[in-house]
Amino acid sequence: MYLIEKNNVMKLAEELAKSYSLYGPVTDKETKQVFFNKVASASEISLTAEIPSIPPKTVVFPQIERILEYKYDKGSKKVEMNADFDTSSKALFGIRPCDLTGILVLDRFFMGLEFVDDVYLEHRKRMFIVSNTCTVPFKQCFCVCTDSGPVAEEGYDLNLTDLGDVYLVEAGSDKGREFAEKMGLQKAGPEHTLEKKNAVDKSISLFEKLATDNKAWISRVMNRVTTGFIKEEVWEHIGKQCFECGACTFVCPTCSCFNVEDHNKFSGSTDRLRTWDSCSFEGYTKMAGDHNPRHPVEDRRNKRFFCKLSYSQSKKYLRPGCVGCGRCQWVCPGDIGLPNVVTYIRREITE
Amino acid sequence: MSDVQKRVVTIPEIATVVEVKDEIQDVKTFYLKFDNPEVDANFKIKSGQFVMLTVFGYGESAISLPPSPENDRFHLSVRKVGKVTDALHNLVAGDKVGIRGPFGNGFPFEEIKGKNIIYVAGGIGLIPLRSSIVHVLQNRKDFGRIIVLLGARTPDDLMYQNDIEEWLKIEGFECYVTVDQKTEGWKGETGYVNSLIEKANVPVENTVAFVCGPPVMFNSVIGDLMSRGLKDDCIISTLERHMKCGIGKCQHCAIGRTLVCTDGPVYTYKQIKTLGEVI
Repeated sequence: MYLIEKNNVMKLAEELAKSYSLYGPVTDKETKQVFFNKVASASEISLTAEIPSIPPKTVVFPQIERILEYKYDKGSKKVEMNADFDTSSKALFGIRPCDLTGILVLDRFFMGLEFVDDVYLEHRKRMFIVSNTCTVPFKQCFCVCTDSGPVAEEGYDLNLTDLGDVYLVEAGSDKGREFAEKMGLQKAGPEHTLEKKNAVDKSISLFEKLATDNKAWISRVMNRVTTGFIKEEVWEHIGKQCFECGACTFVCPTCSCFNVEDHNKFSGSTDRLRTWDSCSFEGYTKMAGDHNPRHPVEDRRNKRFFCKLSYSQSKKYLRPGCVGCGRCQWVCPGDIGLPNVVTYIRREITE
Repeated sequence: MSDVQKRVVTIPEIATVVEVKDEIQDVKTFYLKFDNPEVDANFKIKSGQFVMLTVFGYGESAISLPPSPENDRFHLSVRKVGKVTDALHNLVAGDKVGIRGPFGNGFPFEEIKGKNIIYVAGGIGLIPLRSSIVHVLQNRKDFGRIIVLLGARTPDDLMYQNDIEEWLKIEGFECYVTVDQKTEGWKGETGYVNSLIEKANVPVENTVAFVCGPPVMFNSVIGDLMSRGLKDDCIISTLERHMKCGIGKCQHCAIGRTLVCTDGPVYTYKQIKTLGEVI
């Protein structure tokens, strides 16, 4: 463990920017919205910014990504094919614990199952992650209910915790340790560990005051969602409020459904694009010939919450699919973000 | 992760269309050969699996594999039904396509040894079942009665008529055919494929049924088979879904907790029943 002065902390980012493309939370000057973007200079990054409105999954799983480029000449019957992977090294600076957990969930899904997704693997291979402990919860957070915050437990190379005048810097990997040593950081003592613990405890206690509407009793409903013992009326009630806009899936740090499309270009070659898709959309399961096995909107809502809360999905992710960032609650025009759905299901259980 | 596995994930192998054969209206069979001889030699499939077929400039579709791997040339029978398959139907011998795969679990032949086998197919539902029929006939002595019940809209919609004539020469192979609407010159049965179940006097003891066809047919056939006493884990079907990746990542084919691409596409009715929203 190491310490770094608050006004020096950006030196870490500056150093990382020398060998990595640097990404971090940036506040938009006009809208004051926070985005997790690629930055030209470390000074753009703000460690005190709110959680970004779109999760940093965009770095490992971009909204639109070319995975293949090919050119087929019909005359000569020649095919040229180029696999197009983003192989740049990336550093994520100041990622929040919930979003880091989201990336770990995606890791297990894309790289841990029967097939390894090579497009994702290329993004992840050379990544340096600096996480940032949330010493104050934001208004929509409920990570304490999903065991993904307010402090990162794994998956980071360096973890920063705000201790007032200094940041506590913890190394979570050899790569992180080497980097900290190279930067010549001052060593931290046991008193700083205690200080961090107090800061985290204080943050958790603040959830009671700040995040009043967001408690999601995940474990209570997980059993019900898994076994399917939820009355059809509950899903219908939820389905009726759904606008089918897909916003919840796009802002979710763990949603990873995608579509693949071939786009012909004027140059005569074709791009195979991977784009975000959403299980909210009616056409999501429509097959050629217009047969659609999943029709009513409540079936589709049911599917999404099954994916987030069921035991069988959790086996793939090694944790619940929800990381408690609260973005779905924030963006949903129908007011059926995950905490609300959990509440609906829970009410049905108790009544 | 092996190189072979890595290749199939995102980059298609290039194959040449060697021959195109008209089957029935809107269905053509494409005989294919991989350009890379190494891939061509190592392309082993289990019957019941599927491939992701790229028509260059149009996109990718999941297509079931009809041939048996032992002695048949690699071919795909495809109905013209959407953007990619429309484009595929315009291809001629010499054109190139892309292939990823094979994917999926395949039929459970080891478990059904020694049993009577019933195939119930509606229209082009015979295409995915054909690989199973070919396999079973090649190992004729391992199985009991082999019955094919085949339904189609009109006599012109009957698939693989030449093959069926060949198969009928094999001892103990029974085939019953019916059409919904007869045309001039049709001397066979009319009616839905369910009516054949009675006619063929389908056995239920020590029997496995393979069912594949349009959703309406599927439900009624399974109802009839079950009411004769066939158990739900003795009814096998192959499902189809909108698929984008074939490797369990895009999630388009998710039904409840299973993914048709990696856990399927072959399921028993016992499994299908618990999933919901299947048909």
